Parts: sequence; C-alpha cells; structure tokens
Amino acid sequence: MSATLTAPALDGAQVKRASRLPRLLSLTSVAVAVGLAVSMLVESNTVMSLLTQAVIYAVFALGLGFLLKQNGMVSFGHALFFGLSGYLVGVGASLTGSVGTVVVLTIAGIGFFAFALALVIVRVPGIAFGMLTLAIGQSFYVLVSKSRGVTGGADGMSIEFPPRVFGLEIGAFQDPASMFLISWLALVALVLALSLLLGTRFGPLTEAIRENEERVRFIGFRTLLPRAVVFAISAMVTAVGGALSALYTGFVSPESLHWSVSGTVLIMVVLGGSRTLWGPAVGAVVYYLFRDYVGEHTTHWMGIFGVSLIAVIVLWPAGIAGGVMHAVERIKRGSGRHA
Amino acid sequence: MIGLQILNGLVYGSLLMIVASGLVLIYGLRRVVNFAHGSLFMLGAYIAYAAAQQFGFWVGLVAAVSVLAAVGFCLDRFGFRLLQDRDPLTVMLVTFGLLLVFEDVVQSVWGKQSYSLAAPESLAGTVELFGSPFPVYRLVIVAAGLAVAAALVGWLRHSRVGLFIRGASTDPVTTAMQGVNTDRLSGGVVAVGAALAGLAGVVSGPFLSLSPTMGSDILIDSFVVVVIGGLGSFAGAFVAAMILGQVQALGAVYLPDLAALLPFALMTAVLVWRPSGLSGSRT
Repeated sequence: MSATLTAPALDGAQVKRASRLPRLLSLTSVAVAVGLAVSMLVESNTVMSLLTQAVIYAVFALGLGFLLKQNGMVSFGHALFFGLSGYLVGVGASLTGSVGTVVVLTIAGIGFFAFALALVIVRVPGIAFGMLTLAIGQSFYVLVSKSRGVTGGADGMSIEFPPRVFGLEIGAFQDPASMFLISWLALVALVLALSLLLGTRFGPLTEAIRENEERVRFIGFRTLLPRAVVFAISAMVTAVGGALSALYTGFVSPESLHWSVSGTVLIMVVLGGSRTLWGPAVGAVVYYLFRDYVGEHTTHWMGIFGVSLIAVIVLWPAGIAGGVMHAVERIKRGSGRHA
Repeated sequence: MIGLQILNGLVYGSLLMIVASGLVLIYGLRRVVNFAHGSLFMLGAYIAYAAAQQFGFWVGLVAAVSVLAAVGFCLDRFGFRLLQDRDPLTVMLVTFGLLLVFEDVVQSVWGKQSYSLAAPESLAGTVELFGSPFPVYRLVIVAAGLAVAAALVGWLRHSRVGLFIRGASTDPVTTAMQGVNTDRLSGGVVAVGAALAGLAGVVSGPFLSLSPTMGSDILIDSFVVVVIGGLGSFAGAFVAAMILGQVQALGAVYLPDLAALLPFALMTAVLVWRPSGLSGSRT
C-alpha cells in the first residue's frame, strides 16, 4: 500500500532530476560560449582587465551568496577567506615551485579552517553572527598588517611565481585576455558544481534548516553539521576567488582582508539577488561596470553608488536575478497561454 | 603611569558609551543595526567644526546636536518607518548605503585632510593628576558620559515616555495595541539616538581628530560594544564600553603590537562564551 503511495512521488523526483542535468549542461555550454565570445570580441585591454577583475569578484560573491542562500546568514568577514587565500598562495609560492599544489592545498586548508570555525560560530544567532564574523575578519586584518616578517605588513606582498603554473605559462594568468577566460571557466565550473550539489538531498535539507532550524531538528536531522558544511563550502569558493586574484595581480595587500571588502561584496550579492546561485555573480559584474562608468564622469562615485544601492534595495528586493526570473516566468506563462 | 592610562581608558569608554547608547536606542525600537551611526558621529563633529569657526564651541555643539536630531527624525520618518516590514538585512544595507552617501558629502565639503576642533577656553587647561599634567577637557568627556548615562537611565526608568520606549522595544505590537503611537515614538527615539551620535562627535572633536575615516573607526568599536553588551541592552553597553575603553588604553601601552586586535579577540571570546552577549536577554 505504502509502496504504491510513494511510487509516483519517487517517479516525479527521478523525472525532475533526469530533466535537470541536460538543462544544466546546456546552460553551462551556453555560459562557456558566452565567455569565449567575450574574450574574442572585446579588444580593448582596459575593458578586459575590468571584466577580469569583475569575474574574480564574481567568484567571491558566489561564495558569499551561497552562504546567504543556503544558510540565511550574513557574513561581514568573508574578506578573511579571500585575503588569507591570497597570502597562503603567496607564501606557498615563495617556498615551493609547484604553485598548483599550493593553490589546491590552500583551498582545502581554508575549507577545513572554515569548517572548524563554523562549528563554533554558527550557533551565534542572527545579527550577532554578522558582527562576530566582522570581528574575526578584522582580527586577521590586524594580524596580517602587523606581521611584517611574513606578509610585508601594511605594504602588502609581491608574489614571485615560477614560470609555469597548472601547466600554463604564468603570463597566461597575468594577461587580462586569457585570465578572463580562466576566471570565467572557474566561475562557470563552480556554479555548475554548486547546482549539482543543491540537486542532491543537501540542497532541500539546508534550505529547510534556513527556514526553520528547530522543525528540522524535530524531524530528526542534525542541523549543526550541514550549516557548518555550507559555511565551509562558501569559504572555499571565496578562497578560489582569492587565489585567482593573487595569480592575476601577483600581489596581495592587507586591504583585501578589510571588512569594507566584505561589505562591498555583500552589496554585490544583494544587488544581484541571493535567491539564485548566479545572482551574486551578476551583481559583481554590474557593480564593476557601474563603478567604472560613474567613476569616469564624476568624483562623487561613492554618494551616487549609495543612492543607487538604496534605490535598488527598496524598489527591487529580490535583486537583478529576482527581476530576471520574474520576467522569465511571465514570458513562459504568456507563451503557454498562446499554445 | 597606570593611573593615567586607566583615566584615558575611561575617557574613550565614555565616548563609546554615548555612541553605543544611540545604537542601542535605535536597535531597540526599529531592530535596525545602523551602519550609518558612525557617519552621524562624523557629521556631528564636522558641523560643530564649521559652526565653531564662526561662533565658538558651544554654538557648534548646539548646532550639531540639533541638526543631527533632525537628520535622525527624517531617517526614521522617511527610512525605517517605510521599511519596517522588510527583512533586517535589507534595512541594514540601506544604512550601509547612507554611510557611503554621508562619507561622500563630508569628503566633498571638507576634503580628505584632518582638522582639529579646539576645546572651549574655559576647559582648555590641565590639572595635576598622578604627578603629571592631565587635560581638563578629558575629564569633561568623562563627565559628559556620566551625564548622558544618568539622563538616559532617568528618562527610560522614570518617565512615561521611557515606559513606552521600554515597552515598544520589548514588544512593539502589544505596546501599539495599548494605544501607544509607536511610529511617533520611534521618530523621537531615532532622533535622540542620532543626536547622541552627533554629541559624541562634537565632544570627541578636541580629543580625537576630524577625518573622513573617523566614522568607520568608531562604528566598529561601538558595534563591538553593543554586541559584547548584548544587542538592545543599555546596562550591557555601558559595561562593555568601559571594558573596551580600558582594553584599548592599557593595550596601547602594554601590548602595542596587539592593541588593535584586542577588541575583536574580546568580542569573539564573549560571543563564544555567551552567544547573546553579556546581558544575554535578546538576540
């Protein structure tokens, strides 16, 4: 009896999962094609370096947005994972020649570090969590600025890379045209990986915890571990951004750990909309294009940005991605009616 | 030597207390973590500086506090009141946007250089304390801090409006059902909170220097105070401000390399120990 009752539900889930994968893969190939097209069509070096920086921060924003989306938690200290990753790559590169290994170890190490940290801090509720992450991030900012011996202190640290990294010439990482493509592919791969992850039971489980942790505990799930895992994944994605940034610029400074960086990226996340995975990444690109455009015309970039930020948040609570999804829904419904 | 450091800690602690009590007031009524609070502090200092150039310190003080009260009222009336049903993160980011606007305004009017506001002449001398001269003005800051604390306690504990405020910060809906106009109340309370930030800015003028970054510096410290004390708790904020003042002053002498780290270490330790702060009542 119960078997017949559950059977249709199971079928539904299987059908959904089966139809998900081809759709994801086709979207991924479209995204890859877009990246290739942009890197071929854009000739200006300035535009290319702007886009490269935007895509690197899009990876950062993807990580921070993932935390907000799956955990409902706002971190004001994610610059910690971004900057720390840059420093670890830098220090690692000065010790050994195989930077590829260093990058992989750095990201894994930050994952473990964030997981251990999360086990302690995710218990802190709501706004206090944001302030706690801010405090932890700022502590590292101070530590890094003060430890002149290892990090070069407030002046930052230039990184000497060996001629080949991940089997590519180091020049490929430091030239905007090729680095754009590398960062773009990394971004697309991360979005794909996270979507696949959220397609498993982990996705609905963490969303349920976000909505009501107590009820999920009542049903019999442990909630601390999934939340810590979300935090660790978010930190690792952010660390990928930090590593890309270090490879691209060959330089890390304590400023990359400052809380205002976390705040700026949080703005990108909200601007783009945190209800989808790709929203924050769009927010980052829009942020950079907007800043470049406004910065060219006026010195009051900060004020104008502040006003626009307030306007977008007030008028468009779900961000750019929310607006796009809404439009897509309407088009779908419209065409459905015609057919 | 150590006596003087403790006194200096008391001075900074009193400043932090004034700023943080404004944050607590606003959080209590509107559940908003006001990122623009540091900018209000800065705005107060700059307005006082501009007015003091012409009319002296005291006119500057009155001007700054009144302008800031008006800014606070508008902030509530045209900001927090319209956004009260929105997600707290949204409102927090709106105040972040305001921070950017205020900083831009200050930078465009006064530039990036730093200024110093002269203390009024009657308070400019020094007194002999622990065998070395100590500026009278710093003692005035401590007195101002005590006066603000006493006034707030008297207002909140012993007046009818104070009762309404305490009611509304515990449960706004029930308080409104009893016939209290919580929107009007919030307007006044946010105005007082902003005025306190402005007051602290003016008072700090002769002690710290005026620069476009003074806002974010004090903002972070007062967040630390409010979070250590427990969001929404005055008693907690008072105690935390005094502790932080001492930690800063003594740390600067005995652990100069780590002084900047200590507030964050303290906050992390307190939150891990008691996730909702010293007072521990609300989140």
